[in-house]
Amino acid sequence: MSNSAWVVGVRAMMSLRYLMVCLLALLPASAWAQTWLDSNRFTFSGFGTLGVVHNNSDKADFIRDLSQPKGAGEGWSARVDTLLGAQARLKLNDQLDITMQGISRYHYTGNFRPELSRAVMSYNPTPDWQLRAGRLGWDAYLLSDSRHVGYAYTWLRPPVDHFGILQLDYIEGVDATYRHPLGNGLAWAKLFVGRSKSHVVLTDDLSAGIDINHIYGGHLNYATGPWQFRASYAQGDSEMDLSFSYTGGADNLYALYLNHLIKKATDFSHIQLYSLGMVYDPGAWQLQAMLNRSETDNDLVIDSGFASAGYRVGPTTPYVMYSQVWIRYPELPAGQSFDQQTWSLGLRYDVASNLALKTQLDRVHVLGSGLLWRGTEADWDGGRITLVSLGLDFVF
Amino acid sequence: MPRIRYLVITALLLNTGLARADIAMVTNADNGIDQLSQSEALNIFMGRYRKLPNGALALPIDLAPLKARFYHSLVNKDLAEINSYWARLVFSGQGSPPQQADSAAEVINLVVHNPSALSYVDAARVTPEMHVVLVLPE
Repeated sequence: MSNSAWVVGVRAMMSLRYLMVCLLALLPASAWAQTWLDSNRFTFSGFGTLGVVHNNSDKADFIRDLSQPKGAGEGWSARVDTLLGAQARLKLNDQLDITMQGISRYHYTGNFRPELSRAVMSYNPTPDWQLRAGRLGWDAYLLSDSRHVGYAYTWLRPPVDHFGILQLDYIEGVDATYRHPLGNGLAWAKLFVGRSKSHVVLTDDLSAGIDINHIYGGHLNYATGPWQFRASYAQGDSEMDLSFSYTGGADNLYALYLNHLIKKATDFSHIQLYSLGMVYDPGAWQLQAMLNRSETDNDLVIDSGFASAGYRVGPTTPYVMYSQVWIRYPELPAGQSFDQQTWSLGLRYDVASNLALKTQLDRVHVLGSGLLWRGTEADWDGGRITLVSLGLDFVF
Repeated sequence: MPRIRYLVITALLLNTGLARADIAMVTNADNGIDQLSQSEALNIFMGRYRKLPNGALALPIDLAPLKARFYHSLVNKDLAEINSYWARLVFSGQGSPPQQADSAAEVINLVVHNPSALSYVDAARVTPEMHVVLVLPE
């Protein structure tokens, strides 16, 4: 390990320890506080996850999404899932409110440096309309703007195959939502416009700052009884600022080739996203399915999807999920691919009405070398990896 | 015989009505709202569409001691699921849950003074200043 890498490592551990201390200090309070349900003009609330994951493979380190430069190697790690978020909301009147939200999670900076993730002014002139401006959550897909709020969903983490690749956290812009009763249900449409700056770590050696300008998009929703459906579309112009710092040997031709390929594949200037989603939630059963397609002007196509089913019995919800990502690019030679499939089996146990304990077993089948993995061995060409995770999600 | 059967059925109905305390959804008596459907109530309390039948922005109020029973009969969900649902909307800046009253007296006070307030009380405790727009059977 080089000296600077060692310093970064120590810093990451220090910030992880700092985060743990914060979380533990908050936990006793969370058992009673629930200030997020307050009716006052000013509310302070938060969410967080204490999570550990065990990776059985010494060939590849697991990451939750492409913002994470290092992953969870063989053994246990608290790095990928542990996070803390806090929100301050000021209600100016019945129509107008301001929300600021920050999050501390392990991301592209290589530590848990907090980030301002939402800064929203929301205006509701009538019950039918909502207009928002500022730094808004990326709401192109169902759940995409709440994927760090573990308490809000059943799984230990949202499916990595689906939410791990090329996802934005937020956009700077405006959105408008219109709601209208239709038949026995409710229909709503949202349109958003904005731009986004984000960072992704594509491989151990290749990271990029991505500026997406002229983001336009929207979605149509229909909810009736236990059903909810969503169809979305978004597009944007992308500028990528790649930085390549190769640390491997010149003899590792495969790594060099892989970097070259990914560099080329991500060198696009226009991207279009399509998504379909549905939820069926009649009470005990919770079924969800989603399908996404991203297409770029250099013929990169990323398809992903998942389906999950849970069944609630009292405070316990066992669930099963299948997810998959398929990446197609014309320059990929036959037989080579960046596909992966995951079967997940898990359990959510609601300890209290603001605290949930979860465990999840993931069996990941990596076909070809993985894009969603770090620290991969030169001879690694995929295979099956088993992950066991434990998590404690809370809101306060 | 048929008459006796009717009497028995009526007695049974009355009996179940008395044995189970239904939840009455109440509003201000002067806002012109006659009744509310269960899906309208659901849309308002789940923050999907907060519009009263008279066109006004609804102000939903939860009654803390009755909350678990209310959401159970409205959407068949327990409080952990309701909080989980709201966590998603709150932390994506899309809305906020109903404001909360700690007692039926507080509910009455809010409903009497605000024509847009919508809340609920135990059906046995409805007072003349409130107007019942929907009864949720338990």
